[in-house]
Amino acid sequence: MAQALAEPAGTPATRAPRARGRRPRLTKRRKQEARLFYLFISPWIIGFVVFLFGPMIASIYFSLTDWDSFTAPAFVGVANYIRLLTNDPIFWKSLGNTFYYAAVSVPLSMGIGLWLANLLNKRVRFRKLFRTVIYLPILVPIVATALIFKMVLAPTTGPLNRFLAVFGITGPAWLLDPNSVKPAIILLSVWGAGGATVLLLAAMKGIPTEFYEAAEIDGAGPIRQFWSITFPQVTPIIFFNLIMGLIGSFQVFAQVYILTQGGPNNASQMMVPLLFQEAFSFYHMGYASAISWMLFVAILMLTLIAFKTARKWVFYENEVAH
Amino acid sequence: MALIQMEMSRRGFLAGIGLAAAGVITLTACGSGSGGSSGGGSSSELVMSVWGGEVDKAAYQGRIDMLVKKYPELKVTLLLIPSASYPQKVQTMIAGGKGPDIMEVAENVNVYSSKSQIIPLDKYVSSAKLDLEAQFGPVGKIYSYKDKVYAIPDRSGAMIVYYNKTMFDAKGIAAPTAAWKWDDMLSAATELTTPGVWGFGGSQWWPEWWSMVYQNGGAIIDTKTGKPTVNSDAVVEALQWCGDLMFKHKVTPTNAQYADMGPDMGGDQAFAAQKIAMNITGFWNVGTLAADPKIEWDLAPLWQQKKQAVAAFGSGLAISRDCKNPDAAFKAIAYLTDAEAQAVIITSKEDVPANIAVQQSDTFLKPSWMTKPINMAAFPESTKFVFKSPFIPEWEEMQKAFTDGLAAFWLGTQQAKPALEAIQSQLESIIKPAE
Repeated sequence: MAQALAEPAGTPATRAPRARGRRPRLTKRRKQEARLFYLFISPWIIGFVVFLFGPMIASIYFSLTDWDSFTAPAFVGVANYIRLLTNDPIFWKSLGNTFYYAAVSVPLSMGIGLWLANLLNKRVRFRKLFRTVIYLPILVPIVATALIFKMVLAPTTGPLNRFLAVFGITGPAWLLDPNSVKPAIILLSVWGAGGATVLLLAAMKGIPTEFYEAAEIDGAGPIRQFWSITFPQVTPIIFFNLIMGLIGSFQVFAQVYILTQGGPNNASQMMVPLLFQEAFSFYHMGYASAISWMLFVAILMLTLIAFKTARKWVFYENEVAH
Repeated sequence: MALIQMEMSRRGFLAGIGLAAAGVITLTACGSGSGGSSGGGSSSELVMSVWGGEVDKAAYQGRIDMLVKKYPELKVTLLLIPSASYPQKVQTMIAGGKGPDIMEVAENVNVYSSKSQIIPLDKYVSSAKLDLEAQFGPVGKIYSYKDKVYAIPDRSGAMIVYYNKTMFDAKGIAAPTAAWKWDDMLSAATELTTPGVWGFGGSQWWPEWWSMVYQNGGAIIDTKTGKPTVNSDAVVEALQWCGDLMFKHKVTPTNAQYADMGPDMGGDQAFAAQKIAMNITGFWNVGTLAADPKIEWDLAPLWQQKKQAVAAFGSGLAISRDCKNPDAAFKAIAYLTDAEAQAVIITSKEDVPANIAVQQSDTFLKPSWMTKPINMAAFPESTKFVFKSPFIPEWEEMQKAFTDGLAAFWLGTQQAKPALEAIQSQLESIIKPAE
C-alpha cells in the first residue's frame, strides 16, 4: 500500500542534473567553479587531515606500542590487542555495558521520539509550547541535567522512588546499585529524546495530506494511517536517528563521567570513559589507542548491519519512482 | 525530502561514521601533538603550573608577587588550571615538549619522577643548605622516588577531626582529643547519633581509612619490599572497623542515606548542614565554616589506636625536565616554600602551609579572618604523626583498584577480608616494585 501511495509523488527531476555532471570536458566556467569548490572546501579538508585523519593514522601505530605519552613509545606488536581480548575483564565488562546501553537506550529514545512527534503533529492546543518544551532538555548542559538526575534518583527521598512507592514498589538505589545503575543512565539518555522528535516532526509535516485523505476514503483509521502512511514516510529519518543514536550511544561519556565515574565496581563503565581513564589517568596511551580501534570496529560493524537491514524497511520515495 | 535523502546517502554516512570514530581517537592521539604555550624565551622567565580556583589563584599570585619583588630578575607566569583537568593538561604540555618550569604535584608525583619528567632536586637542596625535615617535618621527603627528592612540600594539611560543639555539649561529651582510642570514638559517635543526625561522617576516602590502617600498625605498601600488603590482618581489621561504623553500629550515614540528603553530598557538606557530629577532612572546610555564624564547631587532631598516624593532604613544587634554567626555578621554589611567602597560604584562607615554622606562628594559629577561637593548633600537632603515604608511580591505578574492589564493601554487601584479598592480587599485578 505504501508503495502504491507513493507512486504519484515520484521526482524524476532529481535524476537529470546528475547525468549532466558526467560530461568529460569541462567548460572554462566549470573549471573555475571547480577551483572555487576546492578553495572553499580546503579549510575543512586541511582540518580533517591535520586534526582527524593524521591522528587516526598515528593512533594505529600507537595502538601497537607501549607508550606513556612522556617517553618514547616501545613497539609491542599486537600485544595490546591480545591483552584486551584475552586478559582484561574490565574491557569486556565495559563492552558489555556499552552494548546493553546502546541496545536499550537507542530503541527507547527512538520510540519515545516517534511517539512524541506523532502527538505533536496533531492539532492540539499549545502545540508550539509543547514543541519548545520537548526540545528544551537538549539545550540544558549535561552537568546540570546530571545533578538534577542525582536528586531525582535518590534512594528514598528521590521523586522517582517516591512515585514508585505510591504503587507499593520499593525502588532500587539507582546509581548506587550495580543492578540498577545502567537503567539509571539510560533514563538520562531518554531525557534527550526530543532531538529526534524535532527531525521526525519536520518529516511528518512534509507528508502530503492527499495520502491521508485517500486513506480515509478507503476507510483507514488513525492507527492504520500511522503504520501505512506516516511510519513508512519517516523511515529515512528513523534510520538517520538509528545510525546517529548507535554512534552516540557507543561514545557515551559525559553521563557516565559525571554520574558514576563508571562505578560501582565498573557496573556502569563504558568504552569511552574506560579509554579516557587508560589514556589520561593511567598513562597507557598505546593501550587506550587499541581500545579506540576496538570501539571503531564495533561501531563500524553495527552500522554496516544497520545499512544491510535498511533495504528491508527504509523507504525512499525516489527509489520506487521512475 | 530531497535534502534529507542527500544526507542519507551511503557515502555521506560512512564519512559520518569515520568522523565520529575519529573524534574518539583524537581523544587519545592529542597527547602527541598539541600542547600549551609556555617555556618562555629568556631563561629567567618561568612558567608555574598549579591547579585550583579563585582562592588558589589569589594565593599563588600573591606569593609570586612577593618573589618577584625580592628577585626582580625572575619573571614568573602563573598558569592556573582547573583541578579536574590538571593532570591531562600537564601531560599534554610535557608530551609536547613544553612542560611548565615549576609544576605543582601531589600524590601522583612519581608518575613524573619515575619517567624522568621532573628532575631530582637533591643537589639544589644541598647547595641551598635546606634541611627539609627541619623545615617540613615528616612530610619533608614525602615526594621522593628511589631515595631522591623530586618536589619540595608546599601545602600540607593533616586530616583533622571537625566536631560540632553544640551536639557535644548537649550530650555532655568531652571534646575529642588525640588520646582517644577507636572505642572512645565509637562510644561518643553512638551517643551522638539520633534520628536524622549521625555521630560520624565516614571514612571511605583513602586519607581517611588509610589513617586507621596505619594507626592499627598496617601498611598499604610495605616500605622495605615495595609490595602491597592490603590483605594483612591489621589492614583488614582497620577497614572492617570503618565499615562497621556504617552497617553494624549505624553511626555513619550509608551511601544511600547521603544520596538522600542531596546531590554530591558527603561528610563535609553534611557536617556544615549539622547532620553529623564528627567529620574527618582536610583544611578546606575551615574557611567555609568560619564564615557560617549558625554552627558552633572546633578542631581536634585525629584519634589513635595502636599508634598515632594520620594522612596528610597537600602538594609540592617540582621542576620539569623542560625547564631551561633549573637554578632560577629552584631559587623561586626555595623562596615560595620559605616562611615569608608561605604565610600567604593561610592569610588567604587557601590551605595549611607545609612550613612548620609558619604552622606554629600566630599567623596560622590566629588567622585575622577567623571569627571564633578555633583550635588551629590541631594542624601543627597532627603534622608530628603524619604517615608517609605510598605515592607509587601506579597511584591512579591503585586508587581505581580500591574504588572498584571496595564498592561492594561500602554498600554493605561484602566483608573487608574477601574484598581486600581480591584487591591484593589485583595490586600485585599492577605494581612493579621499585628495584
